[in-house]
Amino acid sequence: MDFLGLTKCAQGNKTDVVLCSYDDHFLVIATQIGAMGTILHARKEEGVSIEPTFNVSAVFGKRDEPMLLACARQLIQHISISGSSRSLVISLGLKDHSAETLKGVVSAVIENRLW
Amino acid sequence: MAREEPDVEALNEVISSALVFNDEVGNSGGVQITCFSEVFNDVALHFQILRLPKQIYVWIGCDSAKLGCIYAAAPTRPKDMISVSSILGGVSDNTGSGIARRLVLKTGLNIILACNIPKNSPMLEAEAEKMLVQKLIQLGYTRAKAEGSSS
Repeated sequence: MDFLGLTKCAQGNKTDVVLCSYDDHFLVIATQIGAMGTILHARKEEGVSIEPTFNVSAVFGKRDEPMLLACARQLIQHISISGSSRSLVISLGLKDHSAETLKGVVSAVIENRLW
Repeated sequence: MAREEPDVEALNEVISSALVFNDEVGNSGGVQITCFSEVFNDVALHFQILRLPKQIYVWIGCDSAKLGCIYAAAPTRPKDMISVSSILGGVSDNTGSGIARRLVLKTGLNIILACNIPKNSPMLEAEAEKMLVQKLIQLGYTRAKAEGSSS
């Protein structure tokens, strides 16, 4: 099990990012509020089509924030393109859910990825 | 010069009861990360504790580094009763949900617990919880007992 912790600044807010690699999952925590916030689960679906499909769902916290789902979707796609079949658990405890903040989170995670 | 043969039985006894501490502590700003491993009855138990200002995330791994089932536990109204919910996974016997609940009692914080201890292993679960709580006390993450309460 590997882990990496770092602190970034997203839209002026200090963001703590923790990345963990387990045997069957990647865990990403990005928080500005001192708690894990909304937890999402993203996985690649096994299918017959050439294009992969992904299942992304909020399993804890806010269920009506599409930007959070989009963030998880981008990361699971990146994981899949990198060749890993592991699922992703991502928790986002952010002060705002703007596109800029989430883009910042996605790029910080990809820059320091464990896959 | 001949070297003395090690006492193999004594060595095995020490190893089987050894605490394999590989404490890795990371500090990511407001997040404190502690990882350690211990051995119980030839089973390797791995622990990861992430301390956030208002929450604690704990992972317990049993012989593997799979994420396992995730539970969320927190004090809820009325009267701060502890509620536990399975977030991911969730086997029929809810291995780990009891640990999550008791961690909230000990720390007073919201807990997210990921645990891959196999089901129907109450001794292993109890031992893992004991090791985890000892570590939390050592790290200062537990709240002080009320004065006058029996230990």
